Amino acid sequence: MGHLSGEHLYEIFARQKREDRLEHIGTISAPNAALARAYAWQTYDEQKWFEMVVAPREAFEAVNRDEEPFTLSPAEVR
Amino acid sequence: MSPSDAPGFRTADDVPVELREDLAGLLLSLADNKRLLGMRYSEWLLGAPTLEAGIACSAMAQDEWGHSRILYAMLKDFGEDPGQLEHEREAAEYLNSELLDDPPADWTGLVALNFLLDAALSVQIESLKDSRFEPLHYKVRKVLEEERFHFEHGRGWLERLAQTEAGREALLAALTPAWASCLRWFGSPEGGLVVRLEDGGISDAGPDGLRARWLDRVGPIVRQAGLGLAERNADGTWESAVALDWSAWDVSRRRSGEGGLNAETLAGVRGDKNRTMLMD
Repeated sequence: MGHLSGEHLYEIFARQKREDRLEHIGTISAPNAALARAYAWQTYDEQKWFEMVVAPREAFEAVNRDEEPFTLSPAEVR
Repeated sequence: MSPSDAPGFRTADDVPVELREDLAGLLLSLADNKRLLGMRYSEWLLGAPTLEAGIACSAMAQDEWGHSRILYAMLKDFGEDPGQLEHEREAAEYLNSELLDDPPADWTGLVALNFLLDAALSVQIESLKDSRFEPLHYKVRKVLEEERFHFEHGRGWLERLAQTEAGREALLAALTPAWASCLRWFGSPEGGLVVRLEDGGISDAGPDGLRARWLDRVGPIVRQAGLGLAERNADGTWESAVALDWSAWDVSRRRSGEGGLNAETLAGVRGDKNRTMLMD
């Protein structure tokens, strides 16, 4: 899949029930937060989610490794 | 009379005769617009600018078709035959916005439908959430939950395309006619079914109220995108920067112009290819 310029990676987290832990369920490429929210909800629609959130990959802080976190591109993790 | 202090209607038969035809007309108008908008989304399953946008169009097409099916089915209570409505009508009988007569010329045109027209349909549907016609309550909430993401999608693409000068020019060319059409679609201030349905407590807003809600929703975003179609008033409300031309307005079809669906769209939307299977 080709990437348009200005695209960002967003990590998607969700839980099915209020008492569940928020789990990482996937990654999406989008040019902005509004599209990241729409794509995440419409792509990961197999389950009925109680809550879904997205976070830009740039917001992640590396803890134990020197390189950037989540080094695989969306094409590689698909 | 406001929706909250008047007795509710549980079935179409409970609705006063003078309101019944208007309510059926509103439901049919929403059903037709959603069925056709779903078709326009479906035309971009392949060929959207990104894979994710194609998936989003697929999801939005399914949502719109689901909503239209619910609305056509509701009309059974009003003495209509949903099968006839879905498969047997001519172009002039569809109560669709003129924006859906022909496919949009390009992706920017689809974004205009997504961001402006889909939002206009949602504003009209939202006005029914506490309607005296009670069968609408649950259905309206379900529709609006799904529509939240249609709005996000339209907004996201608008913001994305507005980042370049060429993108803004293309957006302005696509959005300007759609902008006026959507504002007119809520109805002329003097009359029409939207006015009567507000008076009867079926809807909680008339044409001007619906226009104001739509402008409050889309105005800040088009302004932020540098498109200048809307202006913010001192009190925080929004108004259109585009004057409306009502000269071609047809109050009964709730559209401008005498045209209608093109032949290919009509054949597609009523399922002409599958006519041999519609035996029952």
